[in-house]
Amino acid sequence: MEKAKITPGQLFILIFLFELGSALLIPLGLSAKKDAWLAILLGMGGGLCLFLIYQALYNYYPDILPTTYMQEITGKVLGKLLAFLYLIYFLYIAARVLRDFGEMLVTFAYDETPLFIINALLLFCIVYTVHKGIEVLARTGELLFVLLYFLAVIGFVLVVVSGLIELNNLQPVLEEGIGPVIKTVVTETWYIPFGEVVVFTMIFPYLNRPKHVKAAGLTGIALSGLNIVITMVVNISVLSYELVSRSQFPLLNTIQAIEVAEFLERLDVFFMIALITGGFFKIGLYFYAALIGTADLFKVNGLSRLIYPLGLVVLFSSMTIASSYSEHIQEGIRFVPLYMHLPFQVIIPALLLLIAVVKNRKKQRL
Amino acid sequence: MSYRFRKFLKSKRKYTNAVQNAGPAEELYTSLDSNLSKIKQRTGNSSDIVIREMTTAQENKQIGVIFVEGIVDNRTIHDFLLESLMDDPAIETEGTERDVLETIAEKIVPLGEVTRVNNWKELYESLMSGLTIILVDGVMQGLSASTKGGERRSIQEPPTEISIRGPREGFTESLRTNTSLVRRRIKNPNLWVESLQLGEKTKTDVEIMYIEGIASEKNLNELRERLENINMDGILETGYIEELIEDQPSSPFPTIHFTERPDAVAGNLLEGRIAIFVDGTPFVLHVPSIFIQFFQSVDDYYSRAYIASSLRFMRIMVFLISLYAPATYVAATTFHQEMIPTQLLVVLSAQREAVPFPAVIEAFLMEITFEILREAGIRMPQAVGQTVSIVGALVIGQAAVQAGIVSPAMVIIVAITAIASFTTPSYSMAIAARLIRFGLMIVAASFGFYGLILSFIVIIAHLCSLRSFGIPYMAPLAPFIPADFGDSVIRLPRWGDKERPRLFTTKNEREGSGQKPTPPETRNIKKQQMKKGDLNDD
Repeated sequence: MEKAKITPGQLFILIFLFELGSALLIPLGLSAKKDAWLAILLGMGGGLCLFLIYQALYNYYPDILPTTYMQEITGKVLGKLLAFLYLIYFLYIAARVLRDFGEMLVTFAYDETPLFIINALLLFCIVYTVHKGIEVLARTGELLFVLLYFLAVIGFVLVVVSGLIELNNLQPVLEEGIGPVIKTVVTETWYIPFGEVVVFTMIFPYLNRPKHVKAAGLTGIALSGLNIVITMVVNISVLSYELVSRSQFPLLNTIQAIEVAEFLERLDVFFMIALITGGFFKIGLYFYAALIGTADLFKVNGLSRLIYPLGLVVLFSSMTIASSYSEHIQEGIRFVPLYMHLPFQVIIPALLLLIAVVKNRKKQRL
Repeated sequence: MSYRFRKFLKSKRKYTNAVQNAGPAEELYTSLDSNLSKIKQRTGNSSDIVIREMTTAQENKQIGVIFVEGIVDNRTIHDFLLESLMDDPAIETEGTERDVLETIAEKIVPLGEVTRVNNWKELYESLMSGLTIILVDGVMQGLSASTKGGERRSIQEPPTEISIRGPREGFTESLRTNTSLVRRRIKNPNLWVESLQLGEKTKTDVEIMYIEGIASEKNLNELRERLENINMDGILETGYIEELIEDQPSSPFPTIHFTERPDAVAGNLLEGRIAIFVDGTPFVLHVPSIFIQFFQSVDDYYSRAYIASSLRFMRIMVFLISLYAPATYVAATTFHQEMIPTQLLVVLSAQREAVPFPAVIEAFLMEITFEILREAGIRMPQAVGQTVSIVGALVIGQAAVQAGIVSPAMVIIVAITAIASFTTPSYSMAIAARLIRFGLMIVAASFGFYGLILSFIVIIAHLCSLRSFGIPYMAPLAPFIPADFGDSVIRLPRWGDKERPRLFTTKNEREGSGQKPTPPETRNIKKQQMKKGDLNDD
């Protein structure tokens, strides 16, 4: 662990930016069709529950990283194995998200720039910031949060002023019953983006006021969830479900539909700022978690020795995890939620908490 | 051998101060003649060192008076020193030889500060800082009388920090004048000044000033330590010190703020900062500094809060323009034509049709031309300045466009950028933007908006990672400190900003309660019997 402290306010902002990172931009929860927003809302509920699990674990071990307390809960060997798996998980997701953002940028604006260059550039900036430590990452978040929210409000106002919103597009609600919605929640929106908060278990020990973790985390998840819901509602009501389901970046299409006074149009740059800032924090936090986890597990002193090797690992695996974008997407839909998100976000933390509760009861009795 | 050599080096380093400058701390000689010839030899018979020998009327006592011409006040020496020494009837009326100096100091020389000089080191130090040395034959000690003076620039309006409303005084090159300007503003015994000499050769007087009880002890100790670590042959300006004590020497952004205005220094001292005065320069450093401080001008504190707040906000926006305007133009025209509104795009491409260069080359050409003009403008003699600026304006504007080398839009962009960079009140911050702008243009030309947004994030991350004397540079914005926000991007009215910044000090109370002015309750309008139309009689 590095010597650093962040405030609950900064944690709130990091969670907010992290959640919004990709969820704002991609077509999220669309297997629930017009009720995607409902699926996101329910997913947020699930995310809040997950957060309570993580926070309960943190309460048992407020000063140490998960990579260490896993060893205390399940014993040295199993704990180390688990911690190692988590590191792989974080690195893999960091690489995945990096690939996602690279592909997005390539399709959206840079069709002639090699993917590798785009990824390398983004990762270079992340490595630079992470190198400065979690405090700097958090402070950068504070400033960019203001910018992002400012843009979001302007964007929202412009959409409303342009008279694009057709709330009819959202009706009928629950056309095919609650079934598809629940299915979407369980297979999709619970994990992305809400379950991904698991990465913040690696950040909790840096809090300067541990008591406020719960409030900061819950409000962070709730606010970001509501923002994603609003975005999805706006997307569907502006574009209609059919268009959204065919679009790769619904938000971009919504923004492109804005036209005010024949001058305020083509505000793609808003989308780009949101895209890059979000991606920056999402990958940055995953990368940071993997980094301190590795340093903690393998007892390496000083992050700077690990940062370049791990950065290269993320960069190259982002290029090699899939041979094409469609393969990448298929992996993301079929493989990752079931075999990675579900165990790492839900099952393992829940089991750990169970064991921790039992162990601590025993201790109290003795 | 090598061990001894190393040891010798070590000892040499330790004592260089004494050895190189003032000679060993040896005692003076008894004989006046040998003392004087030693001084002559040590100073290489320099022509500005005046040695006056005289004999008192009664006892025939030989007295030597030594001073450096130009840094002493001639009138003082003549009226109070030479005259009284020559006139005096009896120096050695009573007592032993040792008391001669005491008699001179107490009875004869009517000057403010007269101290004893015991050895050569002290003698040379006093002599070189403008004191006059008095040596008496047969005494192994001397006297130094404060006769500092000489020609100095008078107090003028500071040329680099002009304010619309506010005092017109600026610091001068004289350290004492500068500290006095601040002391006149803070009439408080708690205004403390510590002095030290830096620079082995120059022996520059450096003073730190702070308000005891407000400035934090931690910062003070840190500053003292950093100043004491300075080991250089010369300190000629605050820039030397700034470079040697800043937290992040490799950053293009300044982390120590300087000013030429005594009211700005007084304000900063009241907020718990520490000022560093250096003799021989009108610029005063104060630490710790934060980013937002470089965008605050003294005018903000003297004008109305709304105006001040919006001006500050504007300055930051304009700073961003001065950083990003050419880069954004390059990115938009080379990569993202689709983001430009159609009609504007038509206009732009019509202009650019005839231009033979890609946008980035065009931008570089114009920016470099402007930088040349600006740099030349500083160096040029004032007489030719006007001619050259007219020629420059023609080159940068009309002619370049007519020749078809640049597009008119580019000229507008460069002009806006150039003017924008002058709105930043702090020169050192503006110059940082000037440098980074060129890097950003390259980034824009190679990666478009993607590169620009990433560069923005990296610049922000870099700024967030800076510290000035341990204080986060971007505070109170990041980390967000609500209590300090009242005087940052915005300025709350005096009565609404009750506390000193928490960043610099723990003693936060700075004003009493109920400072918000309220009008008197009634002007007796209600109580009077009013008829219709009474109030708008006239």
